[in-house]
Amino acid sequence: MKQPLIVIEAAATGYNSEVVLRDVGLTVYPDDFIGIIGPNGGGKTTLVKLILGLQPLFSGKVLFPSGKPRMGYLPQASQVDRSFPITVKELISSGMKSRNTLIPYLNAGQKQRLEEMIREAGLQRYANKPIGELSGGQLQKALLCRALIDDPQLLILDEPNTHVDKQFEQELYRWLKRLNQQMAILLVSHDIGTISPLIKSIACVNETLHYHPSNQISEEVLKVYHCPVDVIAHGPVPHRVLKSHDHE
Amino acid sequence: MSDAFSIFQYQFFQHALAAAILTSVIAAMVGTYIVSRKIVFIGGGITHASFGGIGLAFYMGLNPFLGAAVFGVITALAIEWISQNGRVREDSAIAILWSLGMALGIIFVFMTPGYTPNLMSFLFGSILTVGRAEIYVLLVFAMLLMLLFALFYRPILFTAFDPEFARTKGIPVSRYRYMMSVVMALAIVLSIRTVGIILVLSMFTIPQITAMLFTRNFYRIMPLAAMWGIIGSVAGIMGAYLLDIPTSAAIIFFLTLQFLVIKIIMIIRNALIRNKG
Ligand SMILES: Nc1ncnc2c1ncn2[C@@H]1O[C@H](COP(=O)(O)OP(=O)(O)O)[C@@H](O)[C@H]1O
Ligand SMILES: [Mg+2]
Repeated sequence: MKQPLIVIEAAATGYNSEVVLRDVGLTVYPDDFIGIIGPNGGGKTTLVKLILGLQPLFSGKVLFPSGKPRMGYLPQASQVDRSFPITVKELISSGMKSRNTLIPYLNAGQKQRLEEMIREAGLQRYANKPIGELSGGQLQKALLCRALIDDPQLLILDEPNTHVDKQFEQELYRWLKRLNQQMAILLVSHDIGTISPLIKSIACVNETLHYHPSNQISEEVLKVYHCPVDVIAHGPVPHRVLKSHDHE
Repeated sequence: MSDAFSIFQYQFFQHALAAAILTSVIAAMVGTYIVSRKIVFIGGGITHASFGGIGLAFYMGLNPFLGAAVFGVITALAIEWISQNGRVREDSAIAILWSLGMALGIIFVFMTPGYTPNLMSFLFGSILTVGRAEIYVLLVFAMLLMLLFALFYRPILFTAFDPEFARTKGIPVSRYRYMMSVVMALAIVLSIRTVGIILVLSMFTIPQITAMLFTRNFYRIMPLAAMWGIIGSVAGIMGAYLLDIPTSAAIIFFLTLQFLVIKIIMIIRNALIRNKG
């Protein structure tokens, strides 16, 4: 039995003592590809921030059985200030840890890795351009490079398919499929239809988490998906549909 | 015309030029940080809160800039603390500190017995009375700033751009943000000497937005903003002398004029290019 990367037990978190997520349980294994779905404001972003250590833990546990894994994070688009005067190269290099904290610059090896990464992503022409000059898809590509440059064991993507065209989306999914051979992936998405061929299991997040251990697209999974959509469209619908699938 | 240049032989004028150049360099670096993070309002809060320190120092017979520095730094740290731990809306908190500082300043100045000769010079600056010691203070601070940005450019940039991501990479974000709060406060308070409370923020914003007409690269905005700041403030000092108008107002006027002229030239140039193409 392989060691899990992360074990979350009965965790609660939120903002300023207001609880947003409660009784969350989730185990992430090194080869997982979990699609995180749920209604707007359900707490998907809060969940990934809890895993990243950006959220205070009100109660419960977040454990790293084999040590804290290296994590790569692609935040949701609204968190990124596209008008900030930072170049593509600087953006991507911010994903690298400076080995020397006293004089935090990149060493020669890291610089070479950075050039490679930029070339792989086909962003050479934009390397020294400000991120404001990138298209939505190119920006997501740069943000993905930033998340990947430190060779993460866990890649966390928060709605990477917003503000991008269909072509980029397909390209992104091909990459993720390949990357999943080397790392665990948590993919937050509002569109399970397109990600379901990719993912291996589903976590539905709405105040709490319902894990659906399915690696195929089934009618059931799609039904699970309809719950959150209904919540957005018709106001609060209870987790009835979800609960029935919560059988572990 | 010979009249305009004979002024350079006076020591007070040389000091004024040195102060303008050094203030421009300081404001260029710190202002780039402020404009990039879109926290001009925080700068305003620090500036006006520091007036409370000036008033208190007057009342107690201390160096007013010491009072301003203490109030400025405390305000900056308080704003950063609220933004990190906020249960209060940050913008409301800033507005309160802003007006409270001004109110305290007015009360203390009112309570100070006798005439307070320099009050206007704090509101509007008095670059023509800057002394040698103050030039040295500005020089040392400018050099420390350059060293700071040279050593910590990357974490300063990353914690300003995306603090949450920076935290996931193990950068001590909170420490850097507090450090930059202190840096902002000191830079603003030191610049108040040159252009005064009412106009100081323009030194931290107009050269930057002028520079940003040419580049959107943080690293390049800093020297370019320094250049536009120096040109504008030296032109302002000369213009003030020739036209016999207040220096700080003339500096801001020239900085703005410079921005508008460049902006208009760019608009016309772009229109011409589009017509051709
Ligand atoms: N910084 C914040 N401060 C206070 N409340 C927040 C903050 N961020 C999110 N929330 C609240 O937490 C809940 C979950 O938000 P979020 O995790 O962003 O949901 P999702 O990503 O699923 O859309 C929402 O009710 C939202 O209003
Ligand atoms: Mg979200």
